[in-house]
Amino acid sequence: MTPKHIEEQYDAVIVGAGAAGLSAALGFHRSDAARALRDAGVEPKVLVISKLQPLRSHTGSAEGGIAASLADMEPDDWRWHYYDTVKGGDWLVDQDAARLLAEDAPMTVINLERSGVAFSRTDDGRIAQRRFGGHTADFGAQPVKRAAYSADRIGHQILHTLWQQCVHYGVDFADEWYVTDLVLDETLTRAAGVIAFDTHAGVTHAIAARNTILATGGAGRLFHTTSNSHDLTGDGMALALDAGLQLEDIEFVQFHPTGLAHTGILLSEASRGEGGVLRNADGEAFMASYAPGHADLAARDVVSRAIRSETDAGRGVADPRDPDGAKDCVWLDMTGIDPEHMRRALPQVVETIEDYAGLDPTKDLVPVKPTAHYTMGGIPVTTDGEVYVWDGADRNVVEGLYAAGECSCVSVHGANRLGGNSLLDACLFGTRAGQAVAERVGQDPVAAGTPADPALGEALDAAKTARDADIDALLAGAAKDADGDNAYRVMADLSETMERGVAVLCDAGSIAQAQVVVDGPLAERARRLRPHSDARTFNQELTAIWEARHLVRLAEAVLAATDARHESRGSLKRTDFPERDDATCLNHSMTAAGAAPLRQPVHIVDIEPGARSY
Amino acid sequence: MAQLASSGTTVTLRVHRFSPRLARERDRARGSSPFARKASPFGDSPARAARRPRGRQWTQDYTLDVCGDETILDCLLTIKRTVDPTLMFRYSCGHGMCGSDAAAVNGTPTLLCKAKIADWARRPRAVDAEGFRRTVTDAATDDVTSATDDVASADGNGLGVIELAPLPGFAVDRDLIADIEPMLEQIRRLKPYLIADGTLATTKDGKVDVLEYLQSPEQLARYETLTTCIVCGACEGACPVYAGGEAFVGPAALINQARFIDDSRDEATLERLEAIDTADGIQACQSVRACSRECPVGIDVGEEIWQLIAQVREREA
Repeated sequence: MTPKHIEEQYDAVIVGAGAAGLSAALGFHRSDAARALRDAGVEPKVLVISKLQPLRSHTGSAEGGIAASLADMEPDDWRWHYYDTVKGGDWLVDQDAARLLAEDAPMTVINLERSGVAFSRTDDGRIAQRRFGGHTADFGAQPVKRAAYSADRIGHQILHTLWQQCVHYGVDFADEWYVTDLVLDETLTRAAGVIAFDTHAGVTHAIAARNTILATGGAGRLFHTTSNSHDLTGDGMALALDAGLQLEDIEFVQFHPTGLAHTGILLSEASRGEGGVLRNADGEAFMASYAPGHADLAARDVVSRAIRSETDAGRGVADPRDPDGAKDCVWLDMTGIDPEHMRRALPQVVETIEDYAGLDPTKDLVPVKPTAHYTMGGIPVTTDGEVYVWDGADRNVVEGLYAAGECSCVSVHGANRLGGNSLLDACLFGTRAGQAVAERVGQDPVAAGTPADPALGEALDAAKTARDADIDALLAGAAKDADGDNAYRVMADLSETMERGVAVLCDAGSIAQAQVVVDGPLAERARRLRPHSDARTFNQELTAIWEARHLVRLAEAVLAATDARHESRGSLKRTDFPERDDATCLNHSMTAAGAAPLRQPVHIVDIEPGARSY
Repeated sequence: MAQLASSGTTVTLRVHRFSPRLARERDRARGSSPFARKASPFGDSPARAARRPRGRQWTQDYTLDVCGDETILDCLLTIKRTVDPTLMFRYSCGHGMCGSDAAAVNGTPTLLCKAKIADWARRPRAVDAEGFRRTVTDAATDDVTSATDDVASADGNGLGVIELAPLPGFAVDRDLIADIEPMLEQIRRLKPYLIADGTLATTKDGKVDVLEYLQSPEQLARYETLTTCIVCGACEGACPVYAGGEAFVGPAALINQARFIDDSRDEATLERLEAIDTADGIQACQSVRACSRECPVGIDVGEEIWQLIAQVREREA
C-alpha cells in the first residue's frame, strides 16, 4: 500500500511491520483511548512504514514457539518463567520488565489465539506447548513445556494473523519505504518524526509525527553466518545512534547453536526439543558433559560455546558440501526421532535440511554451526516503550519516541535470551508501546488542532533537505560501470570482519583487530559508496548503501561496548576475562556513537544474582 | 567475474530486464502527440492502461561458475555483489518463508530461493534461421545453428541457460520486480481475518479472564495447510484466468478465504461463501489447476478452490 496522501501531521508513525510494529498498531487501535477517539468521531492518523512489503518481515521465519506459563500440559507458574528469564539472561535483566513479561505472557498468547493464530492443539483443544531450552518448572528443578507452538512455524502464523487484524482495523501502510532519518530536537528531548524514502516513487517524505515507534528488528547481518534475513541491517538502532541516542547492552549478540552449516539458516531449537542430539566428530553426545541435566537443551549461549570448544579441540566436522573446508561444524543427530513424528512436528526443519543440505534427517547426520541470531541489546526503553537517554544518574525520556521488539532493549533478555521469549517480547511490549501512544494521543489528538511546535517542523525540514541533497549527490555520482566498490561488497566484508572479531568468543586483541578494519577502511568505503544506476525509482542499491552505512555505524558501537565490558556474561565470552564479575560489571552499557559507554545499574527486584549453571 | 568461486561448471542466467520510463517523460510524450491513444471503447480501463509497462526492455545474459546445487537466488546475489549491482529483484529470508522472490523461471512461477541451478538449467532449444524451433527432437536438431553466439558459448561446456522473468500476471516495475499490489488488494477486500466474538483477554497475577477458543487437532487439520500460504503469488502467476486482471479475484485470495471458512473458530462462513460466489470470484475459476503445480508450500490450490465451489453449490442447493 501507498498512502493516498501524506498527512501534515500524524498522531503516530510506526517504523517496521513485523511482530512488534504490527502489535503496536493493534495495541493502539484496540486501546480504550483509541476507541474513545473513534466514538467521538475522530479517526486517529497512524501510519506504518516498512522497508518490505507486508508479510515479508522476518518474524515469519521464527519457528519454535512463544513462551507463556499457560500450564496447558504440565503445571506451570509465571513466577518460574520470570525466574528462568532472569537466570537465562545471566542476571543482566531488569527484573521489573521480566516480571511483566512473564506475568502478561499468558494473556498475550491467548489474545494471539483469539486473533486467529492456528496454534497446534492438545487433544482437549487447548494450545499445545513444548519444551524449550532454559524453561523450567519450580525454579530450575526440571524442564517444562512452556513454548506454545504451531508445528514449527509460529512466527509465520503470528505475522500473518497480526497483519490480518491490522487489515480489519484499516491500518494505513507505506510499503517499501525506507526510513533514512530519525529527527529529534537539538536537546534530544522530543521527537519530530522521520524522513522516509519511497522506493517506488523515488522521493523522500518528511513524516511529522507526534509519536514515533521504532520496530525495525535486529541486526544479524553484522555477521557472516546468520539466521537473519538479508534485511536485518540494524536500521532502527543505527537511526538512534545517528540521532545522538544510546544503545543499551549492544555487545550481547546471541548465536543460535544450530544454524545449517554453510547457510546459517536456522534449524529450530524444537529439533532438539523433540529429541535431536548434538554429536562431535567421534560421535560423542558432548552436551551431557557441558550441561549435566540439561544437555542439548541448555541455554543457547552455553550450547554455542560448547560447539566452539569441541571444534577448537579438533573434534569438529567439515560441512559435507565442502569436505576439505574448515572443521567448524558438529553433527545434529535427529535419527532417534520417529520419522513420522518428525514430519508432523518439524515440517519446516525437515524441509530446510532436505532443500538446502540435500540430506535426509531421518537417516543422515546434519552439519550445524552457531549462527548469529538475536541482538539482546538495542534502543533503551521503559516498560511502556518510551525511549530514554541515560545521563549517568537518570533516565531522561525522549518525548514522543518509542521502540519495541528486537531493535529495542527493555532488558528482559539481559545477556542472553531464552528461546520463545523474543516473539513474546515483540508482541507484548509492542502492544504496550501502542497502548502508551494511544493514551498520549487520546489526550491531544492531531485532530484537536493544537499547533505543532515550529522548531520540530524546522528540524524535520532541515533533515529532509539534507537527505535530498545526499540522494542527489549519490545519483549524480552514479558509477558508469560495474567495476569498483559497491554496497553489497562492503556489507559482505564487514560481516567477515565482525565474524572474525567477536562471534561467539573474543578477546581484546580480536576486538582491536576488528575495530581497525571497521573504523578505518570499511567506514571509508561506506562513505564513498555510489550506486551504479542513476534511477530514482526501484533502485535497490540506494537502500543498500544506507544499509551498509547503518551496519558500519552499528558495528562501531558493538565493538566499543564489547571492548568496554571486562567480563564474560551470557552470550559474551571474553577469553581474556573468562569469569562473570558482578562486583564491577553487573550493569547495563549505554553506548552512544563515538563515546565511551556509560553504566546503568540493573533493576534487581526479587531475584538475587546467583550462579547460572545449566 | 574473477571473484566467482571456481568450480565445476557454468550456467547462464538470461534475465528479462526492464527499466521504466519516468512518468514525466511519458506524460510529455503523450501530450505532444495529436494521435495520443484515447480510452478504448472496449472496456480497457485507465487502471489497466496504467499497468502496461512503458520503458526499455531487454535481455541480459550472466554466465557464472557454479557447482549446480546453488539456488538461483544465490547466483543472483553473487551477480549483484560482483558483476552488476543494478540488477533488481526482491529477496529477504532466502529460504522460502518470506515469499518475496517469486519470479518466472523458464516461464514457470516459482521462488528463486528454492529453485536449484541444476534442476532448472537447460540446453537452449535450437532454432532455425527463421526463428522456428523444431518440435520433434532428434539428433538432427543439434546441427541447427544456435540463435546467438552467446548461447553457443554457454551451451558449449556448461549446464546451459536459465531464463528469468518477472512473475507473470502482474505489471513489472523494474527487472524482476513485479507489482503485486493488486493481489494484496484482492486479499484485503475479502475480510482476510478471523471473525469471532472478538473478546480479548485481560490478566491479573498471570491469570487470564477468558481462555483460548477450543479447537481439536482434527478441526485444526481441516485448515492448517491453508494457513501456510506465504502470499508469494506463484499461483496467480500460473493462473491463465488471473493474467486477465480484474476479471478474477485470484487463487491467493480464495485460499485465504478457504483458510477461514474451514476454521472452526470463524463465524462468517456463510457471508464468506456468498462474497466469493461472484462473476469475478469462484465463478471465474476454470479449474485449470495450474495453480496447484506451482505452490511452493505445497497447497493443492486447485483442489481447495474446487472444494469451495462445492461448498457454494451445496449452500445454494
